Amino acid sequence: MSGRRGFMASLVPAALAGLAGGGLAEREAVAADFVVESSTAAQAYEVASPWGDTILERRRLMQTLALGVYNLQGKYTPGEADYSVVIRLRLDADFGMNAHLEGAQAGGETDYGVGRGERYIPGLEQAPLDLMYAYVEGRNLAHGWLGFKLGRQYVTDVLGWWSFDGGLVRVTTPYFVQVEMYGGFEQRGGLPLSTSRYERQGVWRGSHADFGSGEGQPSVVDYPSYQYAQPAPAFGFALESNGPSFMHGRFSYRRVYNLGTSITQQFPDPGGGYRTIDGMRLSQERLGYAIEANKSDLGGLKAGFSYDLYNQLVGTFYGGLEAYLGRRVTVGADLDYFVPTFDADSIWNWFTHEPVSTLTGRVAVDVTRELDVAASGGVRAWSAEGDPDTFGAGECEAAGQPETCVGVGYLDPATEAIKPYARDEANRGATMSADALANLTGRYRFRTAEVGLRGMLQAGERGRRTGADLSGEKRLDGGRYALGARLSLYDWEDPLRPERDATSFGYVLGAGYRPDEVADLKLEWEHDMNRLVGQRFRVVALLNLRVAK
Amino acid sequence: MSGARSTARRAPGTGHPRRDAGRLVPGWLAIVACVAAMALAAIVGPPAAAQPAPPDPDAGAVAADAGRGGAEAAPAEEAPAPAAPAGGYITALAPMPGDAEVPIEWMPPGTSASPLPSDEIFPPQTITIRFNHKKHVKELKQTCKTCHADAYTSDAVSDRLLPKPAATCDSCHDVDHSDLRNVKAGTEANGQCVYCHIGESAGAGGKVAALVLPHANLRFTHKKHLARNIQCGQCHGQIDQLELATRDQLPRMAGCFTCHNMSGAAQGEAKGTCTTCHLTRPDGRLLTAFSTGDLVPPRWLFNAGHTPDWIERHKSVAADNSALCGSCHSANDCTDCHDGKVRNRKVHPNDWLSMHPQAARQDNPRCVSCHQEQTFCADCHRRTGVARDAPSGNRTTGRRFHPPPAEWTTAPRSAKHHSWEAERNLNACVSCHTERDCATCHATKGLSGGQGVSPHPMGFEGKCKTAFSRNPRPCLVCHQSNDSFLRACR
Repeated sequence: MSGRRGFMASLVPAALAGLAGGGLAEREAVAADFVVESSTAAQAYEVASPWGDTILERRRLMQTLALGVYNLQGKYTPGEADYSVVIRLRLDADFGMNAHLEGAQAGGETDYGVGRGERYIPGLEQAPLDLMYAYVEGRNLAHGWLGFKLGRQYVTDVLGWWSFDGGLVRVTTPYFVQVEMYGGFEQRGGLPLSTSRYERQGVWRGSHADFGSGEGQPSVVDYPSYQYAQPAPAFGFALESNGPSFMHGRFSYRRVYNLGTSITQQFPDPGGGYRTIDGMRLSQERLGYAIEANKSDLGGLKAGFSYDLYNQLVGTFYGGLEAYLGRRVTVGADLDYFVPTFDADSIWNWFTHEPVSTLTGRVAVDVTRELDVAASGGVRAWSAEGDPDTFGAGECEAAGQPETCVGVGYLDPATEAIKPYARDEANRGATMSADALANLTGRYRFRTAEVGLRGMLQAGERGRRTGADLSGEKRLDGGRYALGARLSLYDWEDPLRPERDATSFGYVLGAGYRPDEVADLKLEWEHDMNRLVGQRFRVVALLNLRVAK
Repeated sequence: MSGARSTARRAPGTGHPRRDAGRLVPGWLAIVACVAAMALAAIVGPPAAAQPAPPDPDAGAVAADAGRGGAEAAPAEEAPAPAAPAGGYITALAPMPGDAEVPIEWMPPGTSASPLPSDEIFPPQTITIRFNHKKHVKELKQTCKTCHADAYTSDAVSDRLLPKPAATCDSCHDVDHSDLRNVKAGTEANGQCVYCHIGESAGAGGKVAALVLPHANLRFTHKKHLARNIQCGQCHGQIDQLELATRDQLPRMAGCFTCHNMSGAAQGEAKGTCTTCHLTRPDGRLLTAFSTGDLVPPRWLFNAGHTPDWIERHKSVAADNSALCGSCHSANDCTDCHDGKVRNRKVHPNDWLSMHPQAARQDNPRCVSCHQEQTFCADCHRRTGVARDAPSGNRTTGRRFHPPPAEWTTAPRSAKHHSWEAERNLNACVSCHTERDCATCHATKGLSGGQGVSPHPMGFEGKCKTAFSRNPRPCLVCHQSNDSFLRACR
């Protein structure tokens, strides 16, 4: 069933390509510009579970097809109104799905009716097709005052990268300010031609299309955490500076709602029933501001934050300063503060969790026109409510047991003996641990080649990871051919899972061929080796086609 | 061009002199000799130069040019054309005498931010003449328009704005450029080819070295700027103080923003959008690939310098000014990583599959920047049996991802207890666990099915009312609606 669905899905882009081609031929008389692009990526590799017994075969085929029609108004003149239509479809198939299941369980990952659902994973699809974006856009209307977008589109700002179906209007004034207003429905996984990529974290949603449809099909209550995908009304606005090259700021606000029914109680009533909640409720409400300012011969600053109105906390904050030391050297310092926040349907908003704060210093040097390097270093701080080293001993003591009961005894944390200790502010003072961070990147660009280095280190009580990549690419015959190689060496340790410490060496060899401007083909061979998985191979083939008129 | 040219000149209709001459030496010997001579020259010869080597100071050749009106005085009518001074002319070969550094106040506006003009916008030039702007403007009282009149009517960068020698140079210099295929040098020193054209033996054989001035990769109209009374120096700097004008006197983008930052009525046509000046593709994005390199923003433009670590830094620019990114990038460039289906090795290096658990623990890079954890991450974790809610057939009894329950799960809390990990990096938990996993212990006892272990942070009570009123769903996962705890939040 799923295989056939995948095949049918792959036909859709092909059919659209045909239509697009036909369109090209028929509309030559129109002075619009057309671009038809297609990208195909085939990958084959294996994923082993940490215990090595389950080995997933990934035989992936990703195919996109994009069509853009620009300058529907005719000749493009900068500053004057122009109209365009763009659309991009994507098929993301994994023909290795179910491949590790045999006999009575064959096909069980995507079919609940196989093997009593013992391998079934709700929401998993072999070949999902999604509409990445599809919109009509008008710019510089009304003497530059108005712009609009209608359809599936992205919004990128300090609130994150987000997608919705709807309309956006932009009013650009000649007085340094523009206003953006939008409304529609958030793109949500499980809805037709959609992915879950743009939903807030913490909620598992998807299609329940076959659920409860009959014998051998899953029931909603089999997966109480798996929520219905429902249209999610959304709106927002932004106030943005416009014009000055030395400063830019954007204030953003967004609100999204959840609709429909959701199971709340995760365990059945004595009668087997599950409680639910219905109706419109908040999914997210956030606002944020970001700013960049520069003095071209001195330096720059950047800052931004987002505030989660549902959680009533600052979710993110960043700030940085840069100074230009001569024409070749830039030094700076950056601060990043992040608190995980989730969809308002998620319970995790209300679990104790603390910010991750990172402070780094950075230097970037353009050594020559060909060679530039950047290095940064700093600390990442982790916080907790309470002292991990002494909290357990306190619990033991509160329960009337010796302090050494940690790790050997069992206490019921919900008992009245321990609960007051655990909720006592005196025992929940913030404690901090820190990781050391360092990064080094550099590249040397020849006329027809490039060599790059990326090295990193992060080490602290929560583990260590260090390593580097050295990569190179050489273009031959004016770019018609390309050769690439990459060497990687990484080493990591995790004190919580010492059996997963490893040193890994890997390399990639690649070759590319560009027969002409419309096609670009690349093949890559990747080989990693470490003590955990032994040898792992990956083959990647990429084909990009682009026709413009 | 009298002297040197006459030796090469031949009567019309005559054959090529080389073809007519007998071969004195075999071809292969000539090639060997040439190669040997070149090798020798490379080892011991003088450095390559557009002009002959500087003269010996003792020769007094410096005086032959600079400030010597006599050099330009007409010689006797029948006398041979005056030769260039020994060692050639040495002035007006650079903006400043002796190639000294041009004071910053004479440079184009914005030079302090961009010391050199962009190679991608202003491709390298080959200037094969010497010319003294300062002398022409200050001493000879010429204006910019005298020589560059075409700029006043120019609407495109492809227009040729250099003076037409027949119309400009020849009025003072003793030379006739009216037929560029047959330029006639006069008898005065200032009419000789080598007076202006540089390169050894300039004018020999009727040829001078080509002047290569590729047009700018821009959309620009001199006409509009001049019509708005924007004078040459406002973009090119004080060329009237300089000798030779070079590529260094071309405008800098930082200087353009002197006007192209304005608002409202003052803005006029000087809009600050990229497409006002930069070339665009059909979809309205900037053309960024040129034979001289890829166009990237300078560091001072919204901190958007595309340094080697740009991938770690770009988020602040995208968060603040995604339209700037969209000037050059399509959404496809964003989706390739942020909604990627093919692992980008610049973000996730080799062996990422083995390494990613540790990277997730370290929040480096931050998984949620690109992945929805409950689907993208957890789907794979369910398939491999890592997730706690993996299908029963994927979970083998006795296997455990985390440390033993005594350390990781139960009270009293050890230093390795999961609560500390959750507090420090909750996203790492969410990449595998569904809410049911947590509710097992953290829901209230009774119908909610948990153990009543409160996971709430300090200060939670002050927020719960607002939260409940806006979305009661998460509360009802762990609490019954008649729960006394919940009543406090209603």
